[in-house]
Amino acid sequence: MNDYLKGNYKLDAKIEEPAETVTDTTDEFEKKALARLGGSICFVSKKGFLWTGDGNDGPRTADRTPAR
Amino acid sequence: MTDLGRRIARRLGDATFERVAAVGAENASTNRPRIGQSLLELAQPPLGKGDTAIVIGAGPSLHRRRSLERLAATGYSGAVVAVDGALGACLRQGIVPHLIVTVDPHPERIVRWFGDPGLTAPSADDYFRRQEMDPAHAEDELAANRELLQLVDRYGPHMRVAIATCASPAVVDRCEKAGMRLYWWNPMYDDYDQPDSLSRRLHAENGLPCLNGGGNVGTAAWVVSHAVLGKTRIGLVGLDFGYAPGTSFTRTQYYPELRDMFGDRFTEAFIHVENPFLGETWFTDPAYYWFRDVFLGMAREADCRTFNCTEGGVLFGDGVPMVALEAFVEERGA
Repeated sequence: MNDYLKGNYKLDAKIEEPAETVTDTTDEFEKKALARLGGSICFVSKKGFLWTGDGNDGPRTADRTPAR
Repeated sequence: MTDLGRRIARRLGDATFERVAAVGAENASTNRPRIGQSLLELAQPPLGKGDTAIVIGAGPSLHRRRSLERLAATGYSGAVVAVDGALGACLRQGIVPHLIVTVDPHPERIVRWFGDPGLTAPSADDYFRRQEMDPAHAEDELAANRELLQLVDRYGPHMRVAIATCASPAVVDRCEKAGMRLYWWNPMYDDYDQPDSLSRRLHAENGLPCLNGGGNVGTAAWVVSHAVLGKTRIGLVGLDFGYAPGTSFTRTQYYPELRDMFGDRFTEAFIHVENPFLGETWFTDPAYYWFRDVFLGMAREADCRTFNCTEGGVLFGDGVPMVALEAFVEERGA
C-alpha cells in the first residue's frame, strides 16, 4: 500500500498496520455459507454404497427389539 | 455471473458432516432402544414386480409435470420408493409407496411429511409455506396436515419405512403409531476405515449397515433401490435438484440462509443450468448443485441403469439419460 499512496506531508502520529491482513470478502462469504449450507446426509467418496462391517457379519438383531 | 455457487458447492461435503454428525449420533443413541429390523431385511421378498424401481422425489417437477397422475395411469407394477417429502403427494394421488425413505435429523420439520399430530396452529417456521416441495402445505398447512394424518393412519400398515438412525424421535413416534414397518440403517458419515470413524462406531454399537446417502434423501432412496432392493433399472421422478424458470428466489430451499449471508449479493450464489430435455434454463443453489455432482459420480459406479424421468431440473449427464416417464415404464428406449 505504501508503494502507491504517498503524501506531501508527514504525520506526527505513528500509524501501525493491523497484524492480520483483511480477508477477501468473497472468502468470508464462503466461510459463513459453509456453516449453514449442506445436505441432510453425508457423502463419503470412494467407499461404495453400503458397508455392512468388516467380517460380513450382517445385521445383528439379537439385541434389538423386534420390528412391529 | 460469478462462480461463487460452484465454489461453495465443492466444499459442502465437509460442511455437511459438521451440520449433521453430532445431532445424528445423538438421535441414534435416543432411538437405540426402538431399533428393530435392519434395512438389509428389505431385500427379500422383493418389493414390486420385476427388476424396476421408480424413485419419487419431492421436486417441483412432480407437480409441474403431473408425474404421479401419469404414473398411476400407466399401470406400473414395479417397486415404488418415495422420499418422505413426497409421501403426501403420493397418497393423495392414490399411490401407496412400497417404501418411504427418511433421513433428515431436523427435530421438528420432518414429522410434518407424515402428518404432525402436534400441529394445532400455523407454525412460526415458514418452511412449509415457502417451499414448493408439497404445495398443499403452502396453501393451507393445517388442512394439509389434517388430511395427511388421516391418509398416513389409513395406509401406514401397508408401508415400510427405511429410516436412518439419525431421524428425529418425533418421526419414529409418528411412524410407529401409524403402524408403519421400520427398517433401520446408519448414514455413512465418514471413512469407516479410519479408526476414529463415527460410521464405524455406530455400526459397532447397533450392527446396522451404513449407507452412503449422497447428501440428500432422494439420492439415499436411489441407493436403497439398487444396493438394497437389488433393482437394476431405476427411474427417477421429482428429483430436480433445482428450481423451475420463474421461481422466486424467496421460494427456494436455502433462501433465508443465502439472504442472511450474502445480503444483496445472494443471487450470485445461484447457478443457472440449461436443461436440454425441455430447452429451459433452470437454476439451482450450491447445495443442490453438490447433490447433482455427487449423484452423477455415484451413478457411474452403480450396478444399475438409471433414467431420469423427472422432465425438469438439473440432473442429467453421462449415465443418467433423461427420458419421458411413459417411455421408461413401457421400456421404450429406456
